[in-house]
Amino acid sequence: MKNRTIKPKILIVDDSPINRTLLSNILGEEYEIIEAENGAEAIAILENFGIEITLVFLDIYMPKIDGFGVLEVMREKHWSDNIPVIIISSDDSGEHIEKAYEMGVTDFIGRQFDAAVVKRRATNTIMLYSKQKLLEDMVANQIYEKEKNSNMLVNILSHIVEFRNGESGLHIIHVKIFTEILLKTLVSITDKYKLSSEEISIISIASALHDIGKISIPDAVLNKPGKFTDEEFKIMKTHSKAGAEILEQLTLYKNEPLVKTAYEICRWHHERFDGRGYPDGLKGDDIPISAQVVAMADVYDALTSERCYKKAFSHEKAVEMILNGECGEFNPILKECLKSSAGNIKNELVHISSAGSPEAKMPEITPEILSRGELSSFKRVMCMLGCEREKNKFVSDFCNDIIFEYKLDPSILTLSAFGAERLGLDKSIVNPLEEPAVINRIKATHNTRKDFKEYLSEDKETITEYKCDIIFGNETKPAKVILKKLYSFDNKPKYIGVVGKIIEL
Amino acid sequence: MTLEETYFKLGGNYEKVIKLLKSPVLVRKIALKFIDDKSFELLEKSFNEKNSSEAFRAAHTLKGVCLNLCFDRLCLTSVEMTEHLRQGNIDDKAVEIFGRLKEDYLVTISALKELRTVIEKQ
Repeated sequence: MKNRTIKPKILIVDDSPINRTLLSNILGEEYEIIEAENGAEAIAILENFGIEITLVFLDIYMPKIDGFGVLEVMREKHWSDNIPVIIISSDDSGEHIEKAYEMGVTDFIGRQFDAAVVKRRATNTIMLYSKQKLLEDMVANQIYEKEKNSNMLVNILSHIVEFRNGESGLHIIHVKIFTEILLKTLVSITDKYKLSSEEISIISIASALHDIGKISIPDAVLNKPGKFTDEEFKIMKTHSKAGAEILEQLTLYKNEPLVKTAYEICRWHHERFDGRGYPDGLKGDDIPISAQVVAMADVYDALTSERCYKKAFSHEKAVEMILNGECGEFNPILKECLKSSAGNIKNELVHISSAGSPEAKMPEITPEILSRGELSSFKRVMCMLGCEREKNKFVSDFCNDIIFEYKLDPSILTLSAFGAERLGLDKSIVNPLEEPAVINRIKATHNTRKDFKEYLSEDKETITEYKCDIIFGNETKPAKVILKKLYSFDNKPKYIGVVGKIIEL
Repeated sequence: MTLEETYFKLGGNYEKVIKLLKSPVLVRKIALKFIDDKSFELLEKSFNEKNSSEAFRAAHTLKGVCLNLCFDRLCLTSVEMTEHLRQGNIDDKAVEIFGRLKEDYLVTISALKELRTVIEKQ
């Protein structure tokens, strides 16, 4: 196989082809060059390649969006945190240079430049940034490892308890997944409980500890086949308080959020919303939300598992029983969450039961760090992204289809090569909804009179299909447009855009 | 005709461009590409349409290219044009500068085309 070394990518943004060729020639030996002839194209490329671009050479005066416009978007989207920019301009008025530096550029090269200096500055800038990135990666990996280890310890600990109980360990995994899904649904429908991603993560991890109190239950009771006597049931019921006491007596870590949350969960995961649970008979939201959710998760898994005294109920039956209050009363908001995420829960749990290990899932990075957006440099994610993009590009370059992607923030329409040619439009268009060339080309539908603009806005339908007239070059022809709305994978999914296809009829 | 002679003809600084860009092959390649460069065309068009901001941008691009290639003569007039258009006026003075700029541009292009013909014959 041919040795394919990967060169770092440099983006050259300049409206003059001569300038681009000159820079490409100077830098092309050591770097892979991507060219953009205006700001709009540059933004589309940055959006697509992200931090795979190691450096941007940027001109100031350009049509559509100028250099400062690009810098503004880069700053807004935090791309400038990871991608250095060198301005190349013959406009060396102090005012411009100062503005450029203020907007976060790393360097400024005036024309005429020395080829050797350009090369050297490129290498220096990239080295500086990649060293910083390397350090960030190292920190991120360490945090990941640490989180993985502590997760593992929590799971081993819970497994010991389960093991004694003759259970497989799947119970705690199920409870954890159920808890996580329900909490994410909860924050997406209400702000009442003010849970951050980090708190959700902590509650999910701590959920594994909900039954540690069972360690204090005598074997004869814990593993008794068949139904408990009243006396035995009374002993069994002590496990929730016992678990909380174990945690309370920790000398270290007592005040850690994880331990505090675990305490709530251990102590109150058998409470019920109407006050009929145990050990304290708490009512309503006096029961911490962590314990309320884990309680529901615990009941769900008990219902859907086989026990020596009962068969497993189906997912649907279990959900129905919980909603009907057959296992005690739950918070109406949580019941609503269960209703809307039931399908998701079923899918995830089936996936886990068949796949075995939950570790196969995406790594959980401390959410706080993730939300700062600085450690998106996780190599594996980047590799996956790279592969996806290559596939995408291949499909979009070689298919004779009009495929488009519309992204909301910043607002960009990207067309497949064939699509751009067929419609007579640019491959990437910034603010397409304000662009008559786009809007007039794709007409409103015959019957509903809804136009392209309306179809691109957020609504409940995820996949839409409609027929309309479209101007191809100079000729108007009927066509079918198929759209899929895209949503982010956050706790609160946000509308981010559309992918679609235009089929000539 | 050599590249050096072409530079002499169009009023450029050959020694300097080689010093800056190192490779004569690269300089020749980029210089010949200037024949097809659209900035002058755009400048003339915007000039005629009295679109001063577009004319400014085109003059600015032209200036940048001339600076990089050390086309000193054309560079001087395009700098003058750029600075005048920065104020935003297409007035008599602008027309006068444009006249000189066009002259320099035509000299530059004709020298480059001559070089291209020579190379093509080889």
